[in-house]
Amino acid sequence: MEIVIVGSGPSAAAAALALEPVREATITVLDLGAQLENGRQAARTAMANTTPDRWRAEDLELVSSLPKAKSFGQLPTKQIYGSNFVFENSGQLDEIDADGEANRLVVSGAYGGFSNTWGAQLMPYSTGTFGTWPMSRANIEPHYREILRQIPYSGESDDLEETFPLMGTPDHLPKVTHRTSSVLKRYERHRIAVRRHGVTAGHARLALKGSACRLVGLCMTGCPDQLIYSASQSFDQLRARKRVDYQPGMRVDRIEEDAAGRVSVHATDVSTGQRRAFGADRVLIGAGAIGTTRIVAGSLGLTDRSIMLAESVQFMMPFLSLRPVPALTQDGEFTLNQFNLFITFDSDGKEAALVHCYPYNDVMLASLPGFLTSGPLGAVTRTGLRRLTVGLGYLPSWASPPVELRIGRAKADGSLPSIQVTSGENEATKPMLTQVIRQLRRCGRALDLYPIPGQTKLSGPAKSYHYGGSFPMQAKPFGEFASDLLGRVGPWRNVHLIDASVFPTVAATTFTLTIMANAHRIATEALGGS
Amino acid sequence: MTSSRVAITGATGYLGSVLSDHFSSRGDDVVALTRRRPERAVSEWRHFELDQPIDPTIFHDVNTLIHAAWVLSGKDTSQLWRENVIGSRKLIEAAVAAGVQKVVFVSSMSAYFGTRQTYGLMKLAVERTALDLGCIVVRPGLVYGESPGGMAGTLRKISRLPLWPNFKSAKLFLAHEEDVAQAIARAVDHYDQLSGEVMGLANPQSVDLPSIFAGLSPEHKRRLSLPVPAVLVMAVLRLLEGAGVPFPFRSDSLLGLIESADLLPGQERLVQQGIEFRRLGGEFEARVSAARL
Repeated sequence: MEIVIVGSGPSAAAAALALEPVREATITVLDLGAQLENGRQAARTAMANTTPDRWRAEDLELVSSLPKAKSFGQLPTKQIYGSNFVFENSGQLDEIDADGEANRLVVSGAYGGFSNTWGAQLMPYSTGTFGTWPMSRANIEPHYREILRQIPYSGESDDLEETFPLMGTPDHLPKVTHRTSSVLKRYERHRIAVRRHGVTAGHARLALKGSACRLVGLCMTGCPDQLIYSASQSFDQLRARKRVDYQPGMRVDRIEEDAAGRVSVHATDVSTGQRRAFGADRVLIGAGAIGTTRIVAGSLGLTDRSIMLAESVQFMMPFLSLRPVPALTQDGEFTLNQFNLFITFDSDGKEAALVHCYPYNDVMLASLPGFLTSGPLGAVTRTGLRRLTVGLGYLPSWASPPVELRIGRAKADGSLPSIQVTSGENEATKPMLTQVIRQLRRCGRALDLYPIPGQTKLSGPAKSYHYGGSFPMQAKPFGEFASDLLGRVGPWRNVHLIDASVFPTVAATTFTLTIMANAHRIATEALGGS
Repeated sequence: MTSSRVAITGATGYLGSVLSDHFSSRGDDVVALTRRRPERAVSEWRHFELDQPIDPTIFHDVNTLIHAAWVLSGKDTSQLWRENVIGSRKLIEAAVAAGVQKVVFVSSMSAYFGTRQTYGLMKLAVERTALDLGCIVVRPGLVYGESPGGMAGTLRKISRLPLWPNFKSAKLFLAHEEDVAQAIARAVDHYDQLSGEVMGLANPQSVDLPSIFAGLSPEHKRRLSLPVPAVLVMAVLRLLEGAGVPFPFRSDSLLGLIESADLLPGQERLVQQGIEFRRLGGEFEARVSAARL
């Protein structure tokens, strides 16, 4: 059986992992496959092979250079190993544009996709979230467990388990920072006072090899030891085991399925501009929600229209503590998200927001304007930073502004349609965000973690990277923009959408594990994998 | 109904012993999972403590678990949380992993979203795990009987006072112990239909505090009740607790009285199963009516 997987991000990796044991399956992966530049790769490898005290300064500088924010208070576009390769245009961003503050960098051409730069959060969706899905969490739980078994996973047993069971045995997290430890100890002491406000605190759950962490403080700019999971790692393993035929440099433009169910995948070799066609018995599309939507809309003639994507909008929420941390440094720490604040407005975890809290890292200092970090104000700024925790929070899609995608026509026959990303509106956003801030403010004293008044800022459209739902799964699909439980759209029987494009909703809680689990489920149920 | 092997945690407590007697009387083998060997007759006793690691052999040959054990006081809140919430979670997970087919978690009417009561928040936290694992969650109201224990026992003692305190907002749902035991047994018998459900077990008519005192008092007569500001009593109880003065009524219990749930969940399910709860004082009224005739 010939299977083509489009893309190399988390959904594609999860599907490939599900299909690995299917011996009769020959798997071809079509991907743009942009990779880290050779010089940076060499520097990273050199650092991985020696102790930090022997790292060459030029290597360290090359792989840990910091991104600059476009304006004060805005998050800079994340880099990895000092590189922007994840967001660069390898052909996938042609004819994609964005209005105003909307994000244009919505499709990645990188090997591993956006998982090269993600926050590495791993939690399942709550049972309440599945209340509006055509399946229960129990249906998908075996796939959550299988993914967590196959990728690095670190976390701790704590109160978050009530809504987000561990579903496996994670590695322990590396030693957490002074601030994290202090907040979690205070939560333990004042648990009832905090929970009365619907707030639960707990450790981060991360796609990280925690026990191997050398605490060198470089998580945010790229772990030299590659301990943070990227989907490319799964493909590296599958390629080493010769279970996939990886074809880089391919931009998939169009898909056709004939009356007999045979599928043709039409792609452009971006290095030569030549058109290529690949035949398959089944095709799994995991090009990311907008990348997949574009391929499918163009292939099925669903152009010249606007559709709404569900986005779990992101907000940045800085906190101050009365007690400062002893020192302002990221050395000797890991700097990924360390603890989470879960704010719920119901008992089954559906009406909820999640805030990932980050301790100090040098990205924070770098995002400030120069006059605050040097000169007479420098000392004051550093005093403030010793009390600062940055929260990155999310609201559920039903309380977030939707992302409007205007799908135009393709400029040339057989190529991808144009996409304009723009903002929708949702009247529920402001009230929910206000409630979240209020509940967290009420816990300020108990946790010594006070949201700074007036400083919580919503990110622009599509900037959360937690979006999907262009072809939501339905038990009985209705209309052109709907899919069945196996991610099949319209007339297609052997083409499956496997990424967040098929999500009925996007919860505020962590996103990628559910993408992977659902892709694993679709591949397993459609093709009889593990 | 065929007899089964029913393990009951907290089988030496008030509700646990009522359940133990009820399941024994209908022919089930009752395995008491308790800290100490129970005095009443059970088929078997197996040692179990909420704050200790679970030995999976306690579930040997058990097909039903009713988890009614709860540590109420005498420890700080963090320790109570560890024992009750984490201990219960581990127990329920271990039971499901060991193949126990039916698990009923005895929660409380205090466990509702938005509660401020420590006891209610803890029960609510365990409910989440139990429901995710497909168990049945029951929330009995204020359980009473001829010789009630727990909160009803305390209120019965207060009912002997010449003047009753009355908190304006205190209105509770009540459930006779026999009805609760029958309802739980019915839930066990129809487990497949009720799995994953939360059911409030009580008469659907809430009752104010003077009526509760009257119903629980031996002579079933009303006495003079004095409106008392709950805030003041709460402050006094907290002061006493802060000073380490032992007192039979905790501030958290008062919170449960004055901020009680105003809805009984899962009533349609109870109706479908033909489960009903008598009214407080109904038996007394029936006896008086019979005597008049």
